[in-house]
Amino acid sequence: MFSNASSISRRELLRRTSALAVAGPAAGGLGLNLAAMGNAAAAPATGYKALVCIFLYGGNDHYNTVLATDGSSWEAYGAERGSPAEGIALAAPGVSPSGSGTLHQRLGGVLPINPVTAQAGRSFALHPSAGALRDLFGNKRLAVVSNVGNLLGPTTKADYVNRTARRPGKLGSHNDQQSVWQSGGVEGATRGWGGRYMDLLLAGNQSAMFSAVSINGNAVWLPGKTTRAYQLAPTGPVRVGAGDGTVYGSAAVAARMQTIMQSARDNRLIEREHASVSQRSYSATAQLGGLYPAPNAGPWGSKDQAMIDPLLQYRDPVTRQNTFSPLAHQLQAVARTIAVRSALGMSRQVFFVGLGGWDTHDDMAERHAILMAQLAHGMQYFDRTLTQMGVDKDVTTFTMSEFGRALTSNGDGCDHGWGSHHFVMGGAVKGGDIYGRFPVYSSTDGQGRFLSDDLLDNGQSLPAQSVDQYAATLGSWFGVSDSDLNLVLPNLTQWQSSKRNLGFMA
Amino acid sequence: MVLTHTSFRPSKGFKLAALAFAALLTACGGGKESAGDEPSVAADGRRGALAVQQPTTRADAFRLLTQATFGPTAADISRVQSIGATAWINEQLAMPAQDVHRARWLATDAEVKKTNADASAGTNDITSSIYQQGLQAQDQLRQRVKLALSEIFVVSTNELSSYRAEAAASYYDMLGRNALGNFRNLLEGVATHPAMGIYLSHMHNQPADPATGRQPDQNFAREVMQLFSIGLVQLNPDGTAKLVGGQPVATYEQDDVAGMASVFTGWSWAGPDTSKGRFFGGGGNPGYVDANRYGLPMQGYAQYHATTLKEFLGTQVAPQGTPNPGASVKVALDTLFNHPNVGPFIGRQLIQRLVTSAPSPAYVGRVAAAFDNNGKGVRGDMQAVVRAILTDAEARDPAIAGGERYGKVREPVLRLTAWLRAFNAKSDSGRVLMTPTDEASYGLNQTPLRSGSVFNFYRPGFVPPGGEADAARMTLPEMQITDEASIAGYANYMMGAVQRGVGPRGLNGMGARPDLQPNYKAEMAAAEDPRKLVNLVLPKLLPAMPSVSLQNQIVAAVQAQTIPPKRADNSNAKARENAMARRVQTAILLTLVSPEFLVQK
Repeated sequence: MFSNASSISRRELLRRTSALAVAGPAAGGLGLNLAAMGNAAAAPATGYKALVCIFLYGGNDHYNTVLATDGSSWEAYGAERGSPAEGIALAAPGVSPSGSGTLHQRLGGVLPINPVTAQAGRSFALHPSAGALRDLFGNKRLAVVSNVGNLLGPTTKADYVNRTARRPGKLGSHNDQQSVWQSGGVEGATRGWGGRYMDLLLAGNQSAMFSAVSINGNAVWLPGKTTRAYQLAPTGPVRVGAGDGTVYGSAAVAARMQTIMQSARDNRLIEREHASVSQRSYSATAQLGGLYPAPNAGPWGSKDQAMIDPLLQYRDPVTRQNTFSPLAHQLQAVARTIAVRSALGMSRQVFFVGLGGWDTHDDMAERHAILMAQLAHGMQYFDRTLTQMGVDKDVTTFTMSEFGRALTSNGDGCDHGWGSHHFVMGGAVKGGDIYGRFPVYSSTDGQGRFLSDDLLDNGQSLPAQSVDQYAATLGSWFGVSDSDLNLVLPNLTQWQSSKRNLGFMA
Repeated sequence: MVLTHTSFRPSKGFKLAALAFAALLTACGGGKESAGDEPSVAADGRRGALAVQQPTTRADAFRLLTQATFGPTAADISRVQSIGATAWINEQLAMPAQDVHRARWLATDAEVKKTNADASAGTNDITSSIYQQGLQAQDQLRQRVKLALSEIFVVSTNELSSYRAEAAASYYDMLGRNALGNFRNLLEGVATHPAMGIYLSHMHNQPADPATGRQPDQNFAREVMQLFSIGLVQLNPDGTAKLVGGQPVATYEQDDVAGMASVFTGWSWAGPDTSKGRFFGGGGNPGYVDANRYGLPMQGYAQYHATTLKEFLGTQVAPQGTPNPGASVKVALDTLFNHPNVGPFIGRQLIQRLVTSAPSPAYVGRVAAAFDNNGKGVRGDMQAVVRAILTDAEARDPAIAGGERYGKVREPVLRLTAWLRAFNAKSDSGRVLMTPTDEASYGLNQTPLRSGSVFNFYRPGFVPPGGEADAARMTLPEMQITDEASIAGYANYMMGAVQRGVGPRGLNGMGARPDLQPNYKAEMAAAEDPRKLVNLVLPKLLPAMPSVSLQNQIVAAVQAQTIPPKRADNSNAKARENAMARRVQTAILLTLVSPEFLVQK
């Protein structure tokens, strides 16, 4: 799977050449770019980096994603979540899959992982449907960042309970916390940290259009002050008109249609807003034109139709059928876009894909297992694809989700939490390790109050790592200077400078 | 979140009309203001209702029908023009609700089962049913409000699919029954409907169990507050956030969610008893499965209802010696219903669904006042709310509608129905058949009652990033599903629809053409004269003639579709007819993708 050194350097050479070619027409911009980037700009002169966000919509149940399996943790987990036979607990490591019974019994035990940095008295495992993530972790392609959540500053349980630290607003609200993870602001925010990073690095791109790309509809992570998000369909750019670009057989009608869609009356703001999106749609399609590679023109695909491509199918743990993965399909579009980075003159890009359904209030065993299988497959597919494309060290893929979930069970699911564990993947990630302080589990005082300083009511994890620290660690690798990170992530300075980088990027 | 709003002032002529009408009202004893007073944003908030005289202009009739129906038709335009907006609204409000969706679903289901006893009707039937009513029902206003409510009180056939689509059909009937009734009943209908019980998982919800650590499910408890009644922050009567020290004030905390979750324990399927087997759904035992359970409100099961103290929103349900789920829910729904946020919170969203995306606080305030008091001391009268929305100056005054920031992006489903109704589309099967149109890249990026989550297709607080609306901090919800991909997807979907019709090809999918076929007869007759054709098409889709440049663009495009000269022996009649059809299609499609059509004013 790994490219040998000589082929890497040859690819590097090709990239440098194209990066230089880019620098020509955008020379003025490049200078600005270097200034904006400060110190960080000097290091990665090699040309290309991308961040790929996989957003898990609904709030991932981190307790059944990355599990603490040491004796006392497992006991506390079982006390709240019951057993695989009755409850929402997964089976202990080493338990063989059962031929019958509940799904959790049929899946068998959780999958142990051994972090490079041992944690005294703790042992860990992943969901039994996440075998691909276990392998990526073992191969040091994947890191776990534990207990990340929205915070306004370092917050202890005492701070929280006594309100001696400011609490973030609208905790537990899906739409608002999705927005806060991506932008620091609740619903109505318009600038995300992905887009703000691109604002700082935009000058290195020949085309602003493809700097921030969503394959999953609107996402506030992508736009910045000047960076606009571009929406690509999983199948690629969508062109207006028939296959040959005509409308009702006429190129002239197609041209008139374009003019009409792009025009708005002077005194009509909403019409202008709509027309400007049409302009971007036509402009992007024209730029991508014949460049955008076919679904099977590279390692990202083996069929010209996604729906029948085995590479895009995951094994559904409930039906045990190979099943088309919308997530892998989105990641395929990212790979196809990255493939034309040089032709488009891109030096930095941020991508957004998403997968819904994580709000597992009920039917959790089935829903979560299917989603974990799809996520694990999608990440493994993407890592393999990027490696074969020779860009795995240039692309870092990471998860976000609006919150984790509660440790307590509501019978067949669990409710909204706060902090959550996340995955970061790529050749530039210091994989095979768990970063950040992992929450300590505990029993309750009999009144429903958890004894652990890491657990709030219902066993919500009080985040020990903030989204700002998580974002800063990624941003620093991406080439954003420390001073710019402090501007983009306004709560970051609440942490000591030595703690702002969580250390999972090489 | 602080948003600035465009401030709208009624134009002078409009004010005069309003004054005259106010005087009339007072003379009839219907007004609260003393004669001669300038109408102000009074406590009863009814200034806007003054506006509407009859008869009215074609443009006003067209605008009203765009706001209040699934699309203007020639007949409806004439009707509104002759009787005026107020009379038309009253006529609509007087039409009784009819439960049609579940009945249709069950009829289809029975038909399906004749050939396969294990099969059932599914999602397509409720999708079709919503279109059927939207396209054909006489009670258009109720249908339109139903659709709006389905985007606030969201359930989705994404989840309620296959045989469970019966619950979605019944839910849509329930929205219709309550759309023009009282909000308190609507809220209860939502809270106790099995479709919602399944969708937000409070069906089968049980009390806390210290032995297992189980806690009540908080899903519905949270969303009934956040989305269905009061929202997250305390509001002023005009819908702006109350600020304390510059910060908004939360309406509830996590403890309130937990308290509310205990209220919604012990609710499950309706039936003749409250046995354990029925509570848990029957487990395949037909004795526990009532044949009508998808169509009946959930019932309380005392043995599964929390008896502990339930505290929320500063009120409480005392510990119950005898568990009483109905009494607990009554306290909860009464508390929510009487919260001062409901009027502005729900009112603003209904304005956004029907009239304009960034209403002024004053407009929201007038609608909220109508919610608080319908003029007869009744709170929550949805007829008063709908009337306040549609008769307000900000809905009717053409000078306000001419404002730069006025209007809304039409939601895609209503673009489709506007076209179908304007061209008097008929269903080949006679039933109206439609399938979901979810896909952004080749569909509408929207299917009625089929949102991706309880947060609807778009959020009321969405501000499209990076453009003029962002600079103005203007909310434009529908722009959340309007992007580079979906704009092209919509254009291509309509390109096919205008040419071939829409819907599946008959009941078995083997028909010759899509089920819904527009009637272009008049347009075909005018196709040889591009200007005449365009002058025929545009008024069917727009309230007034559009900009000259749009007219000219469409005429030029129509001209580009050349019609071969007629041969003496008429041997090229078919080719000529095809060319004329392309002209008609071109004129219609180019109107349907124009921003002047896409943005409702």
